Amino acid sequence: MVAFVLKRLVGLALTLLAASFLVFVVTEFSPGNVARKTLGAYATPAQVDLLYQRLKLDDPLLVRYGRWLGVLTGILRDPLQDPDLKLDFRDPRGDRYFGNFGYSTLFKAPVNDVIWDRLKNTALLAGIAFAIIVPLSLVLGVLAGMREGSWIDRTISIFGIVTTSIPEFASGVFLFVIFGFWLGLVPGTSPLTTSAGWSIASQLLLPVLVLVLYDSGYVVRMVRGSMAEVMNKPYIRTAILKGLPHRAVVTRHAVRNAMIAPFTIILLQINFLISGVVVTETVFAYPGFGRMLLEASLSKDISLIEAATLIALTIAIVTQLLSDIGYALLNPQIRLS
Amino acid sequence: MNDMRDNPHVKVLAGELAEKKIDRREFVRFATLLGLSATTAYGLAGKISGESFAPKAQAQALPKGGVFRLGNRIKEIKNPHTYSWGAYDSNMSRQVVEYLTFTDEKGVTHPYLFEKWDVTPDLKTWTFKVRPGVKWSNGDTLTADQIIWNLKRVLDEDVGSSMLGLMAGYMLKDADLGKKDDKGNPKKSQVLWDANAIEKVDDSTVRFNCKVPQVAVPEHLFHYPMAILHPDDKGVFGVGSKGTGAFELVDFSVGKQATFKRRNGYWGGDAALDGIEMTDVGDDPSAAIAALASQQIHGLVFADPVQYEALAAMPHLQFYSVPTGETQVMRMKVAEKPFDDARVRNAMRAALDPDAIVKVALHGLGRAGEHHHSSVAHPEYAALPKRPRDVALAKKLLADAGHPDGIDVELNVPTDLPWGQVQAETSVEQWKEAGIRVKINLMPGASYWDVWTKVPFGSTIWYHRPLGIMTYGLAYRTGVPWNESSYSSKEFDDLLGQAEGVYEVDKRRELMAKMEKILQDDGPLAQPLFRDTFTFMDKKVQGFSMHPTNYFFGWKVGLQA
Repeated sequence: MVAFVLKRLVGLALTLLAASFLVFVVTEFSPGNVARKTLGAYATPAQVDLLYQRLKLDDPLLVRYGRWLGVLTGILRDPLQDPDLKLDFRDPRGDRYFGNFGYSTLFKAPVNDVIWDRLKNTALLAGIAFAIIVPLSLVLGVLAGMREGSWIDRTISIFGIVTTSIPEFASGVFLFVIFGFWLGLVPGTSPLTTSAGWSIASQLLLPVLVLVLYDSGYVVRMVRGSMAEVMNKPYIRTAILKGLPHRAVVTRHAVRNAMIAPFTIILLQINFLISGVVVTETVFAYPGFGRMLLEASLSKDISLIEAATLIALTIAIVTQLLSDIGYALLNPQIRLS
Repeated sequence: MNDMRDNPHVKVLAGELAEKKIDRREFVRFATLLGLSATTAYGLAGKISGESFAPKAQAQALPKGGVFRLGNRIKEIKNPHTYSWGAYDSNMSRQVVEYLTFTDEKGVTHPYLFEKWDVTPDLKTWTFKVRPGVKWSNGDTLTADQIIWNLKRVLDEDVGSSMLGLMAGYMLKDADLGKKDDKGNPKKSQVLWDANAIEKVDDSTVRFNCKVPQVAVPEHLFHYPMAILHPDDKGVFGVGSKGTGAFELVDFSVGKQATFKRRNGYWGGDAALDGIEMTDVGDDPSAAIAALASQQIHGLVFADPVQYEALAAMPHLQFYSVPTGETQVMRMKVAEKPFDDARVRNAMRAALDPDAIVKVALHGLGRAGEHHHSSVAHPEYAALPKRPRDVALAKKLLADAGHPDGIDVELNVPTDLPWGQVQAETSVEQWKEAGIRVKINLMPGASYWDVWTKVPFGSTIWYHRPLGIMTYGLAYRTGVPWNESSYSSKEFDDLLGQAEGVYEVDKRRELMAKMEKILQDDGPLAQPLFRDTFTFMDKKVQGFSMHPTNYFFGWKVGLQA
């Protein structure tokens, strides 16, 4: 097990390295000039060129990538913090430390000052949604799967298909019209400030509901499929034939086995809820990680894009690792080696 | 300056007060902006309305108190002198730090931190008087030295302010300061053209000695990066920064909220509001609609045409709009075939129906353009005879130019603004009838800005500028960097040069009419619309008016309980 985990951690580091380089390459070949974006339409071409040079964007790609890596690992000082460049890039942590993600040209602040607060906001949203999605999906999935073809199964399956197939931007608007506009129970946006008289809890209701509806439909269908498959296994038939009550068949024999396949899927929802909530965060003006990543991408803010990518990838790989370990614990037949 | 009571704008205000179109407070507010002393303004108001002079606090006023909540984007605001887009960032800092002049929603520029000014007949020497009694929030008095520090800072190329682009022509010159670029080649710098270009005459007088005549200096001083900062703050703005404005910034969080508190002792009279909260409503149009519907905010800094119908259906909201000079110009590179023939360019114009395009692209929230890039929002706009759509004329012009079977061209369109795409698509359908076959090449805005001066046929966004001649000088004068069509007309250049040397609007309008006609007959553009900028505010909001550049002024606004 220890060797397996270590192997995965080495894989994580290599994946992060490869992904960070790919992000650099993709950003390099995407349209637009970050200096123009930073200075705006009124700036003269000479000013744009000057900023381009100061940001050292005219260095070769590999030089810039190497410098970024050196700054991140604390091997190199961040050259953009040099006061002579007059970029006014200042980081209270200094210009050389491990985990220095650089300076955001979009927010004009160190990436470490920008990213963690937004990640915390998204973690709050994702945590609440996850805490609802998992038990809800398991209960509905098991209920549907244990009697395949019954009215309960059909009702839950239709519910799952409908909620999954409605995009978040549409369900967000529908739900607001009902609960916000008509009933006046919840606010329309979630800026996470209480000045307008709406509590933080009330601002979280709609985004959480949108995520729960969208995501639980999918997980319910996975659990239901797995449960239905298990219920058709010979050992379940044997359990029924030997006279065990239906409840005991389901709880003792079916559920644990039916959870093995959806377990990975459930853990993968953490990735979606952290880095895939761009739409929900945008619809509700939620100050989160997904919306920040979208804005950074539109502005070619390479330092912020790189940091967000590495964090999202780390979360993805760690959850994958946890799912592998959990998989083994649920099914001892599987050997991690 | 002459006695300000003779100022035509004061006379208009007096007429409006007599007809009770405005109240006394508004009269005094605007009359003082026009340079009238407060005492004279109150006296004049009393004479017109028959009421005796009353202290400001007892005058009819906006409702006092309350916190106004505005939907905005909460972008970084650390460096006001280098703001890049204006509507979002400067609308936060402008509640705290102010400008030397004030261009109102009608395009008229008034005194502000500069109390008044004189200009020599050659329009090269501008003498500005600093408004007396203006105090910073730390109690310091506003001085000429502080203003000059700001002016010199924005004109320092190392700072990176876009004021440089506006003022370089008349305040700077190229110089070799021994600087080299990364490859070791000598690099030209821009410095003040004369050591006395910005001159301190005395503690309350600043003089601009311009290299060439310039009529738009007061308008330039209202450009959004020209905020007057306290030199002690070293060009950095944030919570606790000193300002001359009616509010102080007390809390700020990028992407979330900016909170302002009223400051007592404001030189224009204490603001009616207790405070302002600006909340980030994001880029998604539905989020802003939802925030207004649930009354999380009282209004939006500006609204988009796609939001209009939803917002217009909400009974608690009031619609505000103002015509602007904002447009997308479908400009043709005059050196490139087939646009090198003026008849082809005229055919492109003749085949379009601007009124129909306004309806489709802007849902009617705009005005028809006349293919000369001068807007009713500009004070010197001259109305020319209408030229209705004439497809037969367009076909004839093309045939005369050697294209009896029509032409095939490609129009490059940035995707930044949805209405710009719709304008292009509608135009393409109308051009088809005249045998002008146009293929649209949609490009991300960022890509378009890399090639906007190079493509043969492109649809370029031009934002509002307070004077029509400012746009003409940037876009159509021979050889200037932003002349994206490479258009060149000696007659046009001469007229523009004359117009830039004329201070009186009526005389400038006569010259403008000639330039507009040149562009209609020979110009490089098809320009079917100007958009109105608009917004919605809660009906509780009082005193608000829409500004063509979407600027918001907290001191003008009150909130009914």
